[in-house]
Amino acid sequence: MLKLIGVETFYGKIKALHGISLKVLEGQLVCILGANGAGKSTILKSITGLVKPEYGTIHFKGRRIDQMDSEDIVKLSIGHVPEWRRIFSELTVYENLLMGGFLLKDDDLIHERMEEAFQHFPILKKRKTQQAGNMSGGEQQMLAISRALMLKPKLLLLDEPSLGLSPLLVQDIFATIKELHESGVTILMVEQNVNQALKIADYGYVLTTGKIFLSGTYKDLLEEEKVREQYLGEGKYNRRAKVWSG
Amino acid sequence: MNSLITDLAQEIFSGIALGSIYALIALGFILIFKATEVVNFAQGELMMVGAYVNFFIIQGIMGDLHVPTGWMFLMGLVGSILFAIVFGWFLDLVINRPLRDESVFSIIMATISMAIMLRALVSMIAGSESLVPQSPFGGAYFNLGGVIISVLDLTIIIGAIVLVSAFYYFFNKTRWGIAMQATSEDPIAAQLMGVPVKRVYALVWIFAAIVAAISGVLLSPRASLIDTNMGFLGLKAFPAAVLGGFGSIPGAIVGGIILGVIETVSMGTLSFHFHWVKEINDIIVWIVLIAVLMIRPTGILGTEEIKKV
Ligand SMILES: Nc1ncnc2c1ncn2[C@@H]1O[C@H](COP(=O)(O)OP(=O)(O)OP(=O)(O)O)[C@@H](O)[C@H]1O
Ligand SMILES: [Mg+2]
Repeated sequence: MLKLIGVETFYGKIKALHGISLKVLEGQLVCILGANGAGKSTILKSITGLVKPEYGTIHFKGRRIDQMDSEDIVKLSIGHVPEWRRIFSELTVYENLLMGGFLLKDDDLIHERMEEAFQHFPILKKRKTQQAGNMSGGEQQMLAISRALMLKPKLLLLDEPSLGLSPLLVQDIFATIKELHESGVTILMVEQNVNQALKIADYGYVLTTGKIFLSGTYKDLLEEEKVREQYLGEGKYNRRAKVWSG
Repeated sequence: MNSLITDLAQEIFSGIALGSIYALIALGFILIFKATEVVNFAQGELMMVGAYVNFFIIQGIMGDLHVPTGWMFLMGLVGSILFAIVFGWFLDLVINRPLRDESVFSIIMATISMAIMLRALVSMIAGSESLVPQSPFGGAYFNLGGVIISVLDLTIIIGAIVLVSAFYYFFNKTRWGIAMQATSEDPIAAQLMGVPVKRVYALVWIFAAIVAAISGVLLSPRASLIDTNMGFLGLKAFPAAVLGGFGSIPGAIVGGIILGVIETVSMGTLSFHFHWVKEINDIIVWIVLIAVLMIRPTGILGTEEIKKV
Protein backbone atom coordinates (compact mmCIF):
# COMPACT_ATOMS: atom_id res chain seq x y z
CA MET A 1 0.00 0.00 0.00
CA LEU A 2 2.74 2.44 0.99
CA LYS A 3 6.31 2.03 -0.14
CA LEU A 4 9.32 4.25 0.50
CA ILE A 5 12.54 3.57 -1.37
CA GLY A 6 15.80 5.30 -0.50
CA VAL A 7 14.12 8.44 0.77
CA GLU A 8 16.51 11.27 1.69
CA THR A 9 15.07 14.42 3.16
CA PHE A 10 16.91 17.60 4.06
CA TYR A 11 16.18 20.60 6.24
CA GLY A 12 18.24 23.19 4.44
CA LYS A 13 21.67 21.57 4.32
CA ILE A 14 21.02 19.18 7.18
CA LYS A 15 20.22 15.68 6.09
CA ALA A 16 17.48 14.26 8.30
CA LEU A 17 16.79 11.02 6.44
CA HIS A 18 19.64 8.96 5.02
CA GLY A 19 17.91 6.70 2.56
CA ILE A 20 14.82 5.28 4.23
CA SER A 21 13.14 2.25 2.71
CA LEU A 22 10.05 0.81 4.28
CA LYS A 23 6.67 -0.50 3.37
CA VAL A 24 3.25 -0.78 4.87
CA LEU A 25 0.90 -3.47 3.59
CA GLU A 26 -2.84 -3.04 3.42
CA GLY A 27 -4.43 -3.63 6.82
CA GLN A 28 -1.17 -3.57 8.77
CA LEU A 29 -0.28 -1.52 11.79
CA VAL A 30 3.35 -0.59 11.37
CA CYS A 31 5.33 1.22 14.01
CA ILE A 32 8.42 3.38 13.71
CA LEU A 33 10.53 3.59 16.84
CA GLY A 34 13.56 5.70 17.53
CA ALA A 35 15.17 8.21 19.86
CA ASN A 36 14.54 11.93 19.81
CA GLY A 37 15.73 13.52 16.62
CA ALA A 38 16.10 10.20 14.80
CA GLY A 39 13.88 11.41 11.99
CA LYS A 40 10.60 9.67 12.79
CA SER A 41 8.44 12.71 12.26
CA THR A 42 10.39 13.58 9.15
CA ILE A 43 9.37 10.27 7.59
CA LEU A 44 5.70 11.06 8.15
CA LYS A 45 6.16 14.65 6.96
CA SER A 46 7.85 13.36 3.81
CA ILE A 47 4.89 11.07 3.13
CA THR A 48 2.31 13.85 3.34
CA GLY A 49 4.48 16.31 1.46
CA LEU A 50 5.07 18.75 4.32
CA VAL A 51 8.73 18.37 3.45
CA LYS A 52 9.78 17.14 0.02
CA PRO A 53 12.36 14.37 -0.19
CA GLU A 54 15.41 15.24 -2.26
CA TYR A 55 16.08 11.67 -3.36
CA GLY A 56 14.15 8.44 -3.39
CA THR A 57 10.55 7.65 -4.16
CA ILE A 58 7.32 7.27 -2.22
CA HIS A 59 4.48 5.26 -3.72
CA PHE A 60 0.98 5.02 -2.34
CA LYS A 61 -1.29 2.43 -3.92
CA GLY A 62 1.02 2.25 -6.90
CA ARG A 63 1.02 6.00 -7.37
CA ARG A 64 4.11 8.11 -6.96
CA ILE A 65 3.38 10.84 -4.41
CA ASP A 66 6.75 12.23 -3.33
CA GLN A 67 6.55 15.37 -5.44
CA MET A 68 2.85 16.04 -4.97
CA ASP A 69 1.36 18.89 -2.91
CA SER A 70 0.06 18.04 0.56
CA GLU A 71 -3.50 18.92 -0.36
CA ASP A 72 -3.45 16.42 -3.21
CA ILE A 73 -1.82 13.71 -1.11
CA VAL A 74 -4.53 14.14 1.51
CA LYS A 75 -7.12 13.70 -1.23
CA LEU A 76 -5.63 10.28 -2.02
CA SER A 77 -6.92 9.24 1.39
CA ILE A 78 -3.95 9.60 3.70
CA GLY A 79 -4.71 11.06 7.12
CA HIS A 80 -1.92 12.54 9.23
CA VAL A 81 -2.21 13.26 12.93
CA PRO A 82 0.86 15.40 13.54
CA GLU A 83 3.13 15.44 16.54
CA TRP A 84 1.64 17.41 19.44
CA ARG A 85 -1.80 17.03 17.85
CA ARG A 86 -2.02 20.51 16.38
CA ILE A 87 -5.71 20.89 16.81
CA PHE A 88 -7.04 24.37 16.05
CA SER A 89 -7.11 25.61 19.61
CA GLU A 90 -9.04 28.79 18.86
CA LEU A 91 -11.83 26.90 17.10
CA THR A 92 -14.51 24.83 18.79
CA VAL A 93 -14.53 21.05 18.77
CA TYR A 94 -17.31 21.15 16.20
CA GLU A 95 -15.34 23.50 13.96
CA ASN A 96 -12.24 21.34 14.24
CA LEU A 97 -14.21 18.35 13.02
CA LEU A 98 -15.74 20.47 10.29
CA MET A 99 -12.22 21.27 9.11
CA GLY A 100 -11.37 17.58 9.20
CA GLY A 101 -14.20 17.12 6.74
CA PHE A 102 -13.27 20.15 4.67
CA LEU A 103 -12.92 18.07 1.52
CA LEU A 104 -16.34 16.48 1.94
CA LYS A 105 -18.80 18.47 -0.08
CA ASP A 106 -21.89 16.91 1.40
CA ASP A 107 -23.14 18.42 4.67
CA ASP A 108 -25.12 15.32 5.59
CA LEU A 109 -22.06 13.18 5.21
CA ILE A 110 -20.05 15.57 7.40
CA HIS A 111 -22.64 15.32 10.16
CA GLU A 112 -22.86 11.57 9.80
CA ARG A 113 -19.10 11.26 10.27
CA MET A 114 -19.24 13.66 13.18
CA GLU A 115 -21.84 11.48 14.86
CA GLU A 116 -19.54 8.50 14.38
CA ALA A 117 -16.75 10.42 16.07
CA PHE A 118 -19.07 11.32 18.94
CA GLN A 119 -20.05 7.70 19.34
CA HIS A 120 -16.43 6.79 19.55
CA PHE A 121 -15.54 9.60 21.93
CA PRO A 122 -18.69 10.74 23.77
CA ILE A 123 -16.64 13.35 25.60
CA LEU A 124 -16.21 15.24 22.33
CA LYS A 125 -19.95 15.55 21.98
CA LYS A 126 -20.14 17.11 25.42
CA ARG A 127 -17.42 19.55 24.46
CA LYS A 128 -18.81 20.24 21.01
CA THR A 129 -19.12 24.00 21.36
CA GLN A 130 -16.11 24.42 23.60
CA GLN A 131 -12.88 25.98 22.42
CA ALA A 132 -10.61 23.07 21.62
CA GLY A 133 -7.57 24.68 23.23
CA ASN A 134 -9.27 24.51 26.62
CA MET A 135 -9.51 20.74 26.61
CA SER A 136 -7.19 18.31 28.35
CA GLY A 137 -4.34 16.68 26.46
CA GLY A 138 -6.18 13.39 26.15
CA GLU A 139 -9.32 15.04 24.84
CA GLN A 140 -7.23 16.99 22.38
CA GLN A 141 -5.63 13.79 21.14
CA MET A 142 -9.06 12.21 20.68
CA LEU A 143 -10.09 15.28 18.74
CA ALA A 144 -6.96 15.15 16.59
CA ILE A 145 -7.61 11.51 15.73
CA SER A 146 -11.31 12.13 15.08
CA ARG A 147 -10.46 15.09 12.92
CA ALA A 148 -8.20 12.96 10.76
CA LEU A 149 -10.84 10.23 10.58
CA MET A 150 -13.45 12.59 9.13
CA LEU A 151 -12.20 11.73 5.66
CA LYS A 152 -12.10 7.99 6.42
CA PRO A 153 -8.50 7.70 5.26
CA LYS A 154 -7.25 4.39 3.88
CA LEU A 155 -3.92 5.07 5.55
CA LEU A 156 -3.59 6.84 8.88
CA LEU A 157 -0.28 8.33 10.01
CA LEU A 158 -0.02 8.85 13.77
CA ASP A 159 2.89 10.83 15.17
CA GLU A 160 3.43 9.95 18.82
CA PRO A 161 -0.21 9.72 19.83
CA SER A 162 0.75 9.11 23.46
CA LEU A 163 2.91 12.21 23.73
CA GLY A 164 2.34 14.09 26.95
CA LEU A 165 -0.52 11.91 28.15
CA SER A 166 -0.89 10.34 31.56
CA PRO A 167 -0.38 6.54 31.72
CA LEU A 168 -4.11 5.96 32.01
CA LEU A 169 -4.86 8.03 28.93
CA VAL A 170 -2.05 6.33 27.06
CA GLN A 171 -3.88 3.04 27.62
CA ASP A 172 -7.08 4.58 26.28
CA ILE A 173 -5.42 5.96 23.19
CA PHE A 174 -3.72 2.68 22.39
CA ALA A 175 -6.99 0.82 22.86
CA THR A 176 -8.56 3.22 20.38
CA ILE A 177 -5.75 2.72 17.89
CA LYS A 178 -6.08 -1.02 18.22
CA GLU A 179 -9.80 -0.75 17.58
CA LEU A 180 -9.23 1.39 14.52
CA HIS A 181 -6.75 -1.09 13.21
CA GLU A 182 -9.15 -3.95 13.77
CA SER A 183 -11.85 -2.07 11.92
CA GLY A 184 -9.59 -2.20 8.87
CA VAL A 185 -7.66 1.07 8.83
CA THR A 186 -4.04 0.73 7.78
CA ILE A 187 -1.86 2.60 10.25
CA LEU A 188 1.71 3.85 10.27
CA MET A 189 2.53 5.03 13.75
CA VAL A 190 5.53 6.74 15.30
CA GLU A 191 6.00 5.99 18.98
CA GLN A 192 8.46 6.19 21.81
CA ASN A 193 6.25 4.20 24.08
CA VAL A 194 7.82 1.00 22.84
CA ASN A 195 6.14 -1.45 25.17
CA GLN A 196 2.65 -0.35 24.30
CA ALA A 197 3.35 0.24 20.65
CA LEU A 198 4.90 -3.11 19.89
CA LYS A 199 2.09 -4.89 21.68
CA ILE A 200 -0.38 -3.82 19.02
CA ALA A 201 1.92 -3.47 15.99
CA ASP A 202 2.29 -6.05 13.22
CA TYR A 203 5.68 -4.82 12.19
CA GLY A 204 8.24 -2.36 13.47
CA TYR A 205 11.15 -0.30 12.24
CA VAL A 206 13.79 1.10 14.54
CA LEU A 207 15.38 4.32 13.41
CA THR A 208 18.70 5.83 14.46
CA THR A 209 19.87 9.16 13.08
CA GLY A 210 17.97 8.97 9.84
CA LYS A 211 18.71 5.32 9.08
CA ILE A 212 16.73 2.18 9.61
CA PHE A 213 18.68 0.19 12.10
CA LEU A 214 16.42 -2.79 12.72
CA SER A 215 13.12 -4.06 11.49
CA GLY A 216 10.89 -7.03 12.07
CA THR A 217 7.73 -8.29 13.64
CA TYR A 218 7.23 -7.29 17.21
CA LYS A 219 8.41 -10.67 18.43
CA ASP A 220 11.66 -10.32 16.49
CA LEU A 221 12.16 -6.87 17.86
CA LEU A 222 11.38 -7.80 21.42
CA GLU A 223 13.95 -10.51 21.24
CA GLU A 224 16.51 -8.18 19.78
CA GLU A 225 18.84 -7.39 22.68
CA LYS A 226 19.57 -3.87 21.51
CA VAL A 227 16.01 -2.74 21.43
CA ARG A 228 15.46 -4.04 24.87
CA GLU A 229 18.53 -2.30 26.15
CA GLN A 230 17.73 0.95 24.51
CA TYR A 231 14.04 1.17 25.06
CA LEU A 232 12.60 -1.40 27.30
CA GLY A 233 15.17 -1.26 30.06
CA GLU A 234 14.06 1.81 31.93
CA GLY A 235 11.01 2.70 30.01
CA LYS A 236 12.04 6.29 30.40
CA TYR A 237 9.72 8.72 28.91
CA ASN A 238 10.49 12.37 28.82
CA ARG A 239 8.29 15.21 27.89
CA ARG A 240 10.10 17.09 25.20
CA ALA A 241 10.04 20.48 23.70
CA LYS A 242 8.10 21.06 20.55
CA VAL A 243 10.33 19.85 17.74
CA TRP A 244 7.76 20.09 15.05
CA SER A 245 8.30 23.41 13.44
CA GLY A 246 8.35 22.61 9.75
CA MET B 1 -28.86 75.03 24.63
CA ASN B 2 -31.16 73.60 22.05
CA SER B 3 -28.81 74.55 19.29
CA LEU B 4 -25.95 72.94 21.15
CA ILE B 5 -27.82 69.65 21.19
CA THR B 6 -28.75 69.89 17.52
CA ASP B 7 -25.16 70.74 16.66
CA LEU B 8 -23.90 67.82 18.66
CA ALA B 9 -26.43 65.46 17.11
CA GLN B 10 -25.40 66.69 13.70
CA GLU B 11 -21.75 66.15 14.45
CA ILE B 12 -22.38 62.72 15.87
CA PHE B 13 -24.29 61.70 12.79
CA SER B 14 -21.53 62.94 10.48
CA GLY B 15 -19.05 61.26 12.78
CA ILE B 16 -20.84 57.96 12.44
CA ALA B 17 -20.76 58.28 8.65
CA LEU B 18 -17.07 59.18 8.62
CA GLY B 19 -16.44 56.43 11.15
CA SER B 20 -18.18 53.92 8.91
CA ILE B 21 -15.57 54.60 6.28
CA TYR B 22 -12.83 54.16 8.85
CA ALA B 23 -14.58 50.95 9.81
CA LEU B 24 -14.37 49.62 6.27
CA ILE B 25 -10.70 50.46 6.00
CA ALA B 26 -10.15 48.88 9.41
CA LEU B 27 -12.05 45.81 8.23
CA GLY B 28 -9.51 45.46 5.42
CA PHE B 29 -6.64 45.63 7.93
CA ILE B 30 -8.33 43.11 10.16
CA LEU B 31 -9.13 40.57 7.43
CA ILE B 32 -5.52 40.36 6.33
CA PHE B 33 -4.22 40.43 9.87
CA LYS B 34 -6.56 37.68 11.01
CA ALA B 35 -5.51 35.37 8.24
CA THR B 36 -1.81 36.14 7.89
CA GLU B 37 -0.74 38.25 10.90
CA VAL B 38 0.42 40.87 8.41
CA VAL B 39 -0.58 44.50 8.81
CA ASN B 40 -1.23 45.70 5.29
CA PHE B 41 -0.06 49.29 5.21
CA ALA B 42 -1.22 49.60 1.61
CA GLN B 43 -4.87 49.29 2.68
CA GLY B 44 -5.46 53.04 2.31
CA GLU B 45 -3.83 52.98 -1.11
CA LEU B 46 -6.07 50.12 -2.17
CA MET B 47 -8.96 52.37 -1.27
CA MET B 48 -7.43 55.21 -3.30
CA VAL B 49 -7.05 52.93 -6.32
CA GLY B 50 -10.67 51.85 -5.89
CA ALA B 51 -11.81 55.47 -5.89
CA TYR B 52 -9.85 56.22 -9.08
CA VAL B 53 -11.10 53.14 -10.88
CA ASN B 54 -14.65 54.01 -9.90
CA PHE B 55 -14.20 57.60 -11.10
CA PHE B 56 -12.86 56.54 -14.46
CA ILE B 57 -15.56 53.97 -15.02
CA ILE B 58 -18.22 56.57 -14.26
CA GLN B 59 -16.75 59.62 -16.02
CA GLY B 60 -14.70 57.95 -18.68
CA ILE B 61 -16.77 55.04 -19.85
CA MET B 62 -20.29 55.46 -18.60
CA GLY B 63 -20.26 59.23 -19.13
CA ASP B 64 -20.06 58.73 -22.90
CA LEU B 65 -22.76 56.09 -23.00
CA HIS B 66 -25.54 58.31 -21.65
CA VAL B 67 -26.96 55.69 -19.32
CA PRO B 68 -29.28 56.80 -16.52
CA THR B 69 -27.40 58.12 -13.49
CA GLY B 70 -28.44 55.33 -11.14
CA TRP B 71 -27.10 52.70 -13.49
CA MET B 72 -23.93 54.66 -14.01
CA PHE B 73 -23.08 54.57 -10.32
CA LEU B 74 -24.08 50.96 -10.00
CA MET B 75 -21.81 50.00 -12.89
CA GLY B 76 -19.07 52.08 -11.29
CA LEU B 77 -19.41 50.07 -8.09
CA VAL B 78 -19.58 46.71 -9.85
CA GLY B 79 -16.63 47.63 -12.08
CA SER B 80 -14.54 48.69 -9.09
CA ILE B 81 -15.31 45.46 -7.29
CA LEU B 82 -14.35 43.39 -10.33
CA PHE B 83 -11.14 45.36 -10.63
CA ALA B 84 -10.48 44.79 -6.92
CA ILE B 85 -10.83 41.04 -7.36
CA VAL B 86 -8.12 40.99 -9.99
CA PHE B 87 -6.01 43.47 -8.08
CA GLY B 88 -6.26 41.57 -4.78
CA TRP B 89 -5.30 38.37 -6.50
CA PHE B 90 -2.33 40.16 -8.09
CA LEU B 91 -1.19 41.53 -4.72
CA ASP B 92 -1.28 38.07 -3.20
CA LEU B 93 0.81 36.89 -6.11
CA VAL B 94 3.47 39.60 -5.86
CA ILE B 95 3.56 40.27 -2.10
CA ASN B 96 2.23 37.41 -0.09
CA ARG B 97 3.20 34.36 -2.08
CA PRO B 98 6.87 35.06 -2.78
CA LEU B 99 7.39 36.22 0.80
CA ARG B 100 5.40 33.55 2.56
CA ASP B 101 8.41 31.92 4.13
CA GLU B 102 9.93 35.23 5.15
CA SER B 103 9.17 36.94 8.44
CA VAL B 104 5.92 38.83 8.87
CA PHE B 105 8.08 41.92 9.17
CA SER B 106 9.36 41.58 5.59
CA ILE B 107 5.83 41.28 4.30
CA ILE B 108 4.82 44.40 6.21
CA MET B 109 7.76 46.26 4.66
CA ALA B 110 6.61 45.04 1.26
CA THR B 111 3.14 46.46 1.87
CA ILE B 112 4.68 49.81 2.74
CA SER B 113 6.68 49.81 -0.50
CA MET B 114 3.56 48.79 -2.34
CA ALA B 115 1.72 51.79 -0.86
CA ILE B 116 4.40 54.19 -2.08
CA MET B 117 4.52 52.60 -5.52
CA LEU B 118 0.76 52.69 -5.90
CA ARG B 119 0.70 56.37 -5.08
CA ALA B 120 3.37 57.09 -7.68
CA LEU B 121 1.79 54.85 -10.27
CA VAL B 122 -1.64 56.37 -9.90
CA SER B 123 -0.36 59.90 -10.23
CA MET B 124 1.60 58.85 -13.33
CA ILE B 125 -1.48 57.37 -14.95
CA ALA B 126 -4.17 59.72 -13.74
CA GLY B 127 -2.19 62.92 -13.31
CA SER B 128 -1.49 64.65 -10.06
CA GLU B 129 -4.48 66.98 -10.03
CA SER B 130 -7.39 66.17 -7.77
CA LEU B 131 -10.51 64.87 -9.40
CA VAL B 132 -13.99 65.96 -8.46
CA PRO B 133 -16.41 63.05 -8.26
CA GLN B 134 -20.20 63.33 -8.32
CA SER B 135 -22.46 61.93 -5.67
CA PRO B 136 -25.07 59.43 -6.84
CA PHE B 137 -27.57 61.21 -4.62
CA GLY B 138 -26.72 64.76 -5.58
CA GLY B 139 -27.17 66.67 -2.36
CA ALA B 140 -30.29 64.78 -1.27
CA TYR B 141 -31.06 64.93 2.44
CA PHE B 142 -33.88 64.94 4.88
CA ASN B 143 -34.35 66.93 8.00
CA LEU B 144 -34.81 65.09 11.26
CA GLY B 145 -35.74 67.62 13.91
CA GLY B 146 -33.12 70.07 12.77
CA VAL B 147 -30.47 67.46 12.07
CA ILE B 148 -29.60 67.13 8.41
CA ILE B 149 -29.42 63.49 7.41
CA SER B 150 -27.73 63.25 4.03
CA VAL B 151 -28.75 60.28 1.94
CA LEU B 152 -25.14 59.66 1.01
CA ASP B 153 -24.10 59.47 4.67
CA LEU B 154 -26.96 57.16 5.46
CA THR B 155 -25.95 54.90 2.57
CA ILE B 156 -22.39 54.84 3.84
CA ILE B 157 -23.48 53.86 7.35
CA ILE B 158 -25.81 51.13 6.15
CA GLY B 159 -23.25 49.89 3.63
CA ALA B 160 -20.58 49.59 6.30
CA ILE B 161 -22.84 47.77 8.72
CA VAL B 162 -23.98 45.34 6.03
CA LEU B 163 -20.44 44.63 4.89
CA VAL B 164 -19.05 44.13 8.37
CA SER B 165 -21.96 41.82 9.25
CA ALA B 166 -21.51 39.87 6.04
CA PHE B 167 -17.82 39.29 6.76
CA TYR B 168 -18.54 38.42 10.34
CA TYR B 169 -21.00 35.82 9.18
CA PHE B 170 -18.64 34.53 6.54
CA PHE B 171 -15.72 34.15 8.95
CA ASN B 172 -17.67 32.48 11.71
CA LYS B 173 -20.34 30.44 10.02
CA THR B 174 -19.18 29.27 6.62
CA ARG B 175 -16.82 26.45 5.87
CA TRP B 176 -14.40 28.65 3.95
CA GLY B 177 -14.50 31.29 6.65
CA ILE B 178 -13.63 28.76 9.34
CA ALA B 179 -10.92 27.38 7.04
CA MET B 180 -9.47 30.89 6.99
CA GLN B 181 -9.37 30.96 10.78
CA ALA B 182 -7.83 27.51 10.84
CA THR B 183 -5.22 28.51 8.27
CA SER B 184 -4.34 31.57 10.26
CA GLU B 185 -3.79 29.55 13.39
CA ASP B 186 -1.90 26.65 11.86
CA PRO B 187 -1.41 26.57 8.09
CA ILE B 188 0.32 23.20 8.20
CA ALA B 189 -2.44 21.47 10.11
CA ALA B 190 -4.94 23.12 7.74
CA GLN B 191 -2.99 21.74 4.80
CA LEU B 192 -3.27 18.27 6.31
CA MET B 193 -7.05 18.67 6.26
CA GLY B 194 -6.88 19.34 2.54
CA VAL B 195 -7.50 23.08 2.91
CA PRO B 196 -5.98 24.78 -0.15
CA VAL B 197 -3.91 27.18 1.88
CA LYS B 198 -2.57 29.20 -1.05
CA ARG B 199 -6.08 29.80 -2.32
CA VAL B 200 -7.22 30.83 1.14
CA TYR B 201 -4.51 33.50 1.27
CA ALA B 202 -5.43 34.74 -2.20
CA LEU B 203 -9.05 34.97 -1.12
CA VAL B 204 -8.13 37.06 1.91
CA TRP B 205 -6.26 39.59 -0.21
CA ILE B 206 -9.12 39.70 -2.67
CA PHE B 207 -11.56 40.39 0.17
CA ALA B 208 -9.34 43.14 1.53
CA ALA B 209 -9.14 44.72 -1.92
CA ILE B 210 -12.91 44.53 -2.35
CA VAL B 211 -13.57 46.16 1.01
CA ALA B 212 -11.02 48.84 0.15
CA ALA B 213 -12.61 49.50 -3.23
CA ILE B 214 -16.05 49.84 -1.69
CA SER B 215 -14.73 52.23 0.94
CA GLY B 216 -13.11 54.27 -1.84
CA VAL B 217 -16.35 54.38 -3.81
CA LEU B 218 -18.25 55.54 -0.71
CA LEU B 219 -15.66 57.98 0.49
CA SER B 220 -14.97 59.90 -2.71
CA PRO B 221 -18.38 61.59 -3.12
CA ARG B 222 -18.34 62.40 0.58
CA ALA B 223 -14.90 63.96 0.45
CA SER B 224 -15.88 65.42 -2.96
CA LEU B 225 -12.23 65.09 -3.92
CA ILE B 226 -10.10 62.25 -5.16
CA ASP B 227 -6.35 62.51 -5.02
CA THR B 228 -3.40 60.26 -4.41
CA ASN B 229 -3.14 61.41 -0.80
CA MET B 230 -6.43 59.75 -0.01
CA GLY B 231 -4.41 56.72 0.99
CA PHE B 232 -3.22 58.49 4.12
CA LEU B 233 -6.69 57.95 5.45
CA GLY B 234 -5.58 54.36 5.81
CA LEU B 235 -3.19 55.45 8.53
CA LYS B 236 -5.98 57.38 10.18
CA ALA B 237 -8.16 54.29 10.19
CA PHE B 238 -5.43 52.16 11.72
CA PRO B 239 -6.28 53.29 15.28
CA ALA B 240 -9.86 52.24 14.57
CA ALA B 241 -8.71 48.70 14.02
CA VAL B 242 -6.62 48.74 17.19
CA LEU B 243 -9.34 50.43 19.19
CA GLY B 244 -11.91 47.82 18.26
CA GLY B 245 -9.50 45.04 19.09
CA PHE B 246 -7.27 44.07 16.22
CA GLY B 247 -8.55 40.83 14.85
CA SER B 248 -12.16 41.36 15.86
CA ILE B 249 -14.45 41.99 12.89
CA PRO B 250 -17.28 43.68 14.82
CA GLY B 251 -14.53 45.67 16.52
CA ALA B 252 -13.93 47.43 13.22
CA ILE B 253 -17.32 49.07 13.29
CA VAL B 254 -17.07 49.96 16.98
CA GLY B 255 -13.56 51.35 16.63
CA GLY B 256 -14.36 53.16 13.38
CA ILE B 257 -17.43 54.89 14.73
CA ILE B 258 -15.79 55.93 18.00
CA LEU B 259 -12.95 57.38 15.98
CA GLY B 260 -15.23 59.20 13.55
CA VAL B 261 -17.39 60.69 16.29
CA ILE B 262 -14.41 61.84 18.34
CA GLU B 263 -12.99 63.50 15.26
CA THR B 264 -16.10 65.44 14.25
CA VAL B 265 -17.16 66.40 17.75
CA SER B 266 -13.73 67.56 18.79
CA MET B 267 -13.31 69.59 15.63
CA GLY B 268 -16.82 71.01 15.99
CA THR B 269 -18.49 71.72 19.28
CA LEU B 270 -15.51 70.99 21.51
CA SER B 271 -13.15 73.24 19.58
CA PHE B 272 -15.77 75.93 19.51
CA HIS B 273 -16.26 75.93 23.24
CA PHE B 274 -12.81 74.99 24.41
CA HIS B 275 -10.08 76.57 22.41
CA TRP B 276 -7.37 74.31 23.66
CA VAL B 277 -9.12 71.35 22.04
CA LYS B 278 -8.38 72.90 18.67
CA GLU B 279 -4.70 72.65 19.41
CA ILE B 280 -4.86 68.92 20.04
CA ASN B 281 -7.34 67.95 17.35
CA ASP B 282 -4.76 66.04 15.40
CA ILE B 283 -3.65 63.96 18.32
CA ILE B 284 -6.87 63.51 20.23
CA VAL B 285 -7.52 60.21 18.51
CA TRP B 286 -4.15 58.92 19.60
CA ILE B 287 -4.75 60.06 23.16
CA VAL B 288 -7.98 58.07 23.23
CA LEU B 289 -6.23 55.12 21.67
CA ILE B 290 -3.48 55.09 24.27
CA ALA B 291 -6.03 55.49 27.06
CA VAL B 292 -8.10 52.56 25.80
CA LEU B 293 -5.06 50.37 25.38
CA MET B 294 -3.94 51.16 28.89
CA ILE B 295 -7.25 49.98 30.27
CA ARG B 296 -7.85 47.14 27.81
CA PRO B 297 -4.68 46.13 25.97
CA THR B 298 -6.68 43.90 23.64
CA GLY B 299 -8.95 46.69 22.43
CA ILE B 300 -12.64 47.03 23.08
CA LEU B 301 -13.91 43.84 21.46
CA GLY B 302 -10.62 41.98 21.22
CA THR B 303 -10.15 38.76 23.07
CA GLU B 304 -7.17 37.49 24.92
CA GLU B 305 -4.97 35.47 22.59
CA ILE B 306 -5.01 31.88 23.74
CA LYS B 307 -1.72 30.23 23.00
CA LYS B 308 -1.40 26.82 24.51
CA VAL B 309 1.60 24.66 23.99
N1 LIG C 1 11.94 22.24 10.72
C1 LIG C 1 13.18 21.75 10.91
N2 LIG C 1 14.24 22.50 10.55
C2 LIG C 1 15.50 22.04 10.72
N3 LIG C 1 15.78 20.85 11.23
C3 LIG C 1 14.78 20.05 11.60
C4 LIG C 1 13.41 20.47 11.45
N4 LIG C 1 12.62 19.48 11.90
C5 LIG C 1 13.45 18.50 12.30
N5 LIG C 1 14.73 18.83 12.12
C6 LIG C 1 15.89 18.01 12.43
O1 LIG C 1 15.77 16.80 11.72
C7 LIG C 1 16.11 15.71 12.55
C8 LIG C 1 14.98 14.72 12.62
O2 LIG C 1 13.87 15.36 13.25
P1 LIG C 1 12.49 14.65 13.51
O3 LIG C 1 11.57 15.68 14.01
O4 LIG C 1 12.09 13.90 12.32
O5 LIG C 1 12.86 13.66 14.67
P2 LIG C 1 11.94 12.71 15.51
O6 LIG C 1 12.51 11.37 15.40
O7 LIG C 1 10.53 12.89 15.15
O8 LIG C 1 12.21 13.25 16.96
P3 LIG C 1 11.22 13.39 18.20
O9 LIG C 1 11.14 12.08 18.84
O10 LIG C 1 11.90 14.39 19.06
O11 LIG C 1 9.90 13.86 17.67
C9 LIG C 1 16.51 16.30 13.88
O12 LIG C 1 17.91 16.38 13.92
C10 LIG C 1 15.91 17.65 13.90
O13 LIG C 1 16.70 18.55 14.62
MG1 LIG D 1 8.92 13.57 16.07
